[in-house]
Amino acid sequence: MAALLLRSTTGGIRCLTKGPAFISTTTTTTISSRLGFSRLTKLRRSYSTTISQDLLNKKVQVYQSTSNDPYLNLSIEHHLLQHSHPDSYVLFLYINDPCVVIGRNQNPWLEVNLPALQETEDIKLVRRRSGGGTVFHDHGNVNWSVICPPAVFDRDRHAEMVVRALKDLGVTTAKVNERHDIVIAGDGRGNGKDVFKVSGSAYKLTRLRSLHHGTCLLNSPQLKNIGKFLRSPGEPYIKARGVESVRSPIRNVDVDTQEFNKRVVDEFLAMYEEQFGEDVTVERVGEDLKDMSNIRKGMDELTSIPWIYGQTPQFTFSSRPTEDDPRERPPLDLDVQSDFNIEFTLRHGEIQTANVSGLKYEGPATDKDFYDGMISKALAKGSDDESAVKLYEIKDWAAVLKSATAGQGLKVSDSSLNSLSEWLNKVFPGSHFR
Amino acid sequence: MASIARCLRIARPSAVSAFAQSSVRIARPFSVTANNEVRKYTREHEWIELSDDKKTGYVGISSYAAKALGDVVFVELPEEGKEVQAGDALGAVESVKSAADINAPISCKVVASNMTLEESPSTINKVPEDHSASGGWVAKVQLSEKGVADFEKLMDEEAYKEFTAAEDH
Repeated sequence: MAALLLRSTTGGIRCLTKGPAFISTTTTTTISSRLGFSRLTKLRRSYSTTISQDLLNKKVQVYQSTSNDPYLNLSIEHHLLQHSHPDSYVLFLYINDPCVVIGRNQNPWLEVNLPALQETEDIKLVRRRSGGGTVFHDHGNVNWSVICPPAVFDRDRHAEMVVRALKDLGVTTAKVNERHDIVIAGDGRGNGKDVFKVSGSAYKLTRLRSLHHGTCLLNSPQLKNIGKFLRSPGEPYIKARGVESVRSPIRNVDVDTQEFNKRVVDEFLAMYEEQFGEDVTVERVGEDLKDMSNIRKGMDELTSIPWIYGQTPQFTFSSRPTEDDPRERPPLDLDVQSDFNIEFTLRHGEIQTANVSGLKYEGPATDKDFYDGMISKALAKGSDDESAVKLYEIKDWAAVLKSATAGQGLKVSDSSLNSLSEWLNKVFPGSHFR
Repeated sequence: MASIARCLRIARPSAVSAFAQSSVRIARPFSVTANNEVRKYTREHEWIELSDDKKTGYVGISSYAAKALGDVVFVELPEEGKEVQAGDALGAVESVKSAADINAPISCKVVASNMTLEESPSTINKVPEDHSASGGWVAKVQLSEKGVADFEKLMDEEAYKEFTAAEDH
């Protein structure tokens, strides 16, 4: 399988069709335990327009989202993490609209093919609050998320729960690997030996609670394109602090999303229901939760540009090998001098230091170094300066370079400036999409 | 720091290798901290050591926590001037796909962050309880009156040792 996926994940579900609020249905769920017995439990699955304190205090809570908004679903998840009872066990399942989700301490310019996302306008960019690497979500992924007390947390416990759910569905080769990912051999049902990742893991640990989430690839129609979305044009030039993704071959498990949800809920209840008797709730939640102030606040943060881009750990960008990043660089097709170089150091997505040299100028070429230096100085204003150049605010590099060279005695040649702008627009495109 | 110390206690053997030592008592690098009386610990595995005048202190994560976390790949440091109450998130560390909060042991104001951790996050694994220039401390803080009172409520080294020993069983 050519497609590649990165190392972390998030969890979620579609499961129930979106319907009018206040519809309450009662369904019967079969719970099968891995010990081989099964029993029937009657559970009321109601649609909740809010998450009451009463629900948050239940010992065992299951929520399934009817919304596909990644920012809303991650904010519901965060609300559950912050406000569920410290001793409770919570399962949250959701399915997101197409989006690329980077880990808390990652670099979008390094991890994501931003121009490809811009071309496919309906793919959103999301930075989650948990650690780990970059993943792709769409309607063929179910995100599963478990919140539990730190005392019982370990990194494999709930990945194993999902593995049992997959095995119930006939995916007999599913297992958790040493990276806490869920992998299958071949098609998962005895055909083929190659190992594929089908679900990752990421964690968020707070004082009172531990969250583990993952995204399970069931039947994504975009499987072949995922590698493309996660391959950045800036990668050869960027060296970043923080967390880099690890690529793994991936494939669809080829399981129905609703069937998967049902089995995961069953396995979760099998783990905790017995322990807590009647104190169990199974709810559907959705768009109405946008009216809850804490969830609204969470969404505002997740959709803010300073969070998505500004949270990026320090990184360097350099068109030539440096002591710190000696990799050979791919050849550039720019109209510049042979000694051309461009280097930035960036913090919070703002240019801290800049070094531009080897541009072509119009007219007789004296003091070029001086003018190159002026441009470098204009680009690097540092973090104390309100007018620091923020990568994520740049819509067109030509405008930035023109303003950096304005008023100079020697003019950068149009062709030099345009070729450089075109390249930089690809590596650092504006943030006019989310 | 959440109770990450327990993260891998019951993990499968294959996942445990890097953390197998987590429950083993290790010699703590106390060489730089002559006076252990001014160092205290939280149940969430942070330490704080006060200066002689009790006006400032250094904060970090315990050796026990650093072992349990596994390889730290990034430390989110607090901004200078940040004011926090005891238990508020002061910063965060990422290791093995986990973002874990570092909580303020006491009410305080951040006067400096350990920039060494930006460049070399693994320092926090090597010398987590060292507050020298090359150590793994996280922040230097200024105490409020409330902070001094908060400090009194924390565990001393002996009590923390017992606490972590109990967590392992």
